[in-house]
Amino acid sequence: MKRLLISGIIGLLFAGISCTKTDNYPGPDSAFQGNIIDSVTGKNLVTETGGVQIELKQLSWSDNPAPYYIPSKPDGTFEDTRIYSGHYSVIPTQGAFWPVDSILKDIKGATSQNFTVVPYLEITNVTHVQDADSLVMTFQLQAPRTNGLPQIIDATEFVNNTSFVGSGAFIQSFYNESSATVSINSNWSSAIAATTYRTVVHNLQPGWTYYARIGVRLNDSYKKYDLSDIFQVVMPTK
Amino acid sequence: MQKINYIAVILAVCLLGSCHKLDLAPVGVISDENVFSNANAVKAYMADIYANLPIEDFVYEPNQGFMAGNGGRWQCFYHTDAIDGEMVGPFGGTGDAAQGFGFWPYDKIRVINVLISKLPSYASNFTADQVNEWLGEAYFCRAYTYFALVKRYGGVPIVRTVIDPNASAASLLVPRDKEEDVYNFIASDFDSAYALMKDPGNSVPQGTASKYAAPAYKSRAMLYAGTIARYGSANYVDGDARAKGFVGIPAADANTFFQAAYDAAKLVEGHFTLYTGGYPDKQQNYVDLFLKPNNEDIFLRQYTQSDPNTGGPTPDNGGPHSWDATMTCRIMTADGLSRAYPSEDFVERFGALPIVNPDGTPTRFSNRADLMQGLEPRLLATVYFPGAVLRGIPFDVQRGIYKTFTGSAAQELQNNLTSPNDVQNGANINLWLGDINAVVNGLDVIGRAGVSTNGDDLTRTGFYVRKYVDYNKAASSCGLYQSTQSYIDMRYAEVLLNRAEAAMELGGAALADALSDINQIRDRAGAPPATAGMTIDTVRNERCKELAFEHQYWWDIRRWRTADQVLNNRNMYAMLPYYITSENKYIFLKQLEPFKRTYNFQKNWYYEPLPGGELGKNSHLFPNNPGY
Repeated sequence: MKRLLISGIIGLLFAGISCTKTDNYPGPDSAFQGNIIDSVTGKNLVTETGGVQIELKQLSWSDNPAPYYIPSKPDGTFEDTRIYSGHYSVIPTQGAFWPVDSILKDIKGATSQNFTVVPYLEITNVTHVQDADSLVMTFQLQAPRTNGLPQIIDATEFVNNTSFVGSGAFIQSFYNESSATVSINSNWSSAIAATTYRTVVHNLQPGWTYYARIGVRLNDSYKKYDLSDIFQVVMPTK
Repeated sequence: MQKINYIAVILAVCLLGSCHKLDLAPVGVISDENVFSNANAVKAYMADIYANLPIEDFVYEPNQGFMAGNGGRWQCFYHTDAIDGEMVGPFGGTGDAAQGFGFWPYDKIRVINVLISKLPSYASNFTADQVNEWLGEAYFCRAYTYFALVKRYGGVPIVRTVIDPNASAASLLVPRDKEEDVYNFIASDFDSAYALMKDPGNSVPQGTASKYAAPAYKSRAMLYAGTIARYGSANYVDGDARAKGFVGIPAADANTFFQAAYDAAKLVEGHFTLYTGGYPDKQQNYVDLFLKPNNEDIFLRQYTQSDPNTGGPTPDNGGPHSWDATMTCRIMTADGLSRAYPSEDFVERFGALPIVNPDGTPTRFSNRADLMQGLEPRLLATVYFPGAVLRGIPFDVQRGIYKTFTGSAAQELQNNLTSPNDVQNGANINLWLGDINAVVNGLDVIGRAGVSTNGDDLTRTGFYVRKYVDYNKAASSCGLYQSTQSYIDMRYAEVLLNRAEAAMELGGAALADALSDINQIRDRAGAPPATAGMTIDTVRNERCKELAFEHQYWWDIRRWRTADQVLNNRNMYAMLPYYITSENKYIFLKQLEPFKRTYNFQKNWYYEPLPGGELGKNSHLFPNNPGY
């Protein structure tokens, strides 16, 4: 009787195991990478981590797939080595550039794709001058396309003590200084094109190395920044 | 023979069994007839609807929801207004709660729809007045629930009927409706509620809806729709859902909604009044408004001590809350801790505090409490200032001790502790900071009520919340789950503010009415009257001052579409008292709150994402809101 019971339990266990289906879908074994190219310079877009998102929708999985995002790197590249093979709709989005159309792409194995975007604004003629414990920057703005450009909100001098500097990585007390930001709050005009803007951050510590750049943002859906190159600044010791 | 006997007996048993009909009403299930044939049963059914109504009350948490039966419901400091900067608090920033908690109360809507569809066929069991009152309340509750949905998601499926779960998939997968249609549906349900309920005269029921609650809430909903039409058409995130009208309302319809808000608010006039029972002391009057039953209350949620409700099989929202134990300082309570503190930014809505001399140096005070002299009574009734007293114990709030203090207040604004005054070590030590046990030269470095940066259970801003705190109770009965003061979800002051804002948006002849509404509020608050040149910003600021810590400001900056500007890498400020030993005086410095949390608002947060689980079940809910 006891043996019968035990063998019955064992039998049930086996029966239970046999009910699980094996997940026979392939894993995320493809890779997707590429460059986001600035149409004005012809080079990679100067941006920051997450300054642009590459949005992927796997149409071969569902009619209404949940979007998946690959964030950009500061050098304007993107890469994700854990992507499911399949048929995708891909679009660069959530960045400070004119909207582009999505493309259809089959991702299988190591797949690459470049995107060309038109930034809202180019930051030109950037200068930086150390003045005692201050960092003064001047710059101008140029718009590759002016018709229908969203309103320009402001331009900000971002300062950090690592080379990862941008709208997501800056020293807040410098940002809070009113002289670090130029409020523009206006639509594009020839007056803006002719203006040289000036920002100042004070109270930099002697002997420290800082990294600084200018960011300008427009009032579109995402309010992301168009960014300048990064400058390294070494403050003299006292 | 014996075998035959057995067979006969078995057959007889089987025959007996066959005499029962099989199609019986199960005795363990309550039928429609059980509920709708008896007034007490209908009342119990209504009580369930009210208990589950999505009221943002003391226990509501913006990232957890309505907390029915949730063991975390003692934590009143997880407050909506701690993500929008009215308070700084337990949240790391706005993003902690900006995308909601997957609210999807269609089960609760079904319960309401059952009553609306079934009660009329049992109407002969009751008087016509009873039936109309219940139906009116049900329409009110349905509109209330849909408003809680539309303000989060924009357009959602409108379900008016009780859908048979065995119906075809096509009828079960209800598609999204446009945001504008949902607001119109809400308006028509509030209108039905108003038409069906009878005028209660002077005996307005407590804790349930009444005839004039319907237009009061309608004014709120229509004001939201009007502002979304006007400001959402200028500041938005593009996407499919917007192109199809699931989010966003055409700008051309703004005035229609503002007119509806104005008319609804005007309908309430004469049926409720601003509370003035505590005059002539306007500060005490404003404190008591939130603690004593009065004729300003339009719709309440009540709590009882007898139902501890921290879980259990039938959780509801009727058990006691913990506002007293979790919004003020532990030294004044029996239990619990506080974590959310009014910001200096909020306090400055009432005007800059007189803490800086014309030459830029901090004003010296002999006594902390002296700062409160001459401030608006409503402000003092909303916020506990340093030096105020609760249950006999003073808020001896102090950030630290300076030996000497030279120079301007402005140099301390960034709170970087780098000014010449801020030497904390060595022979020239000039500033002592510390915890609650720190003593220097026999003086406590900070008060027992703060300010502390070790943990966040003492104020970080210099202020504590006063609104709704019951000063009459002994400290020993201010523990967790010991507070039963009602939550006022709608009061007449809001109706006046809705009316004034709608009037300002309409402009023209309505402007004079807006001014008179605002000045009724200001007079009761003890504030100087507004003048004829007032702008929409005056009206909005008045709303923020009057409805502070009432879960309103967050929804207001969303519908005004200003959240992405006012919460833009924003640090909140504190007002920190220091004692100067060389002068035997106190100064108050406006400084960044010590944790320096940053508040940010992304534009896609103007709508919450539809819950992923619901999208998975119903493909007709696509497209999701823009930016998700």
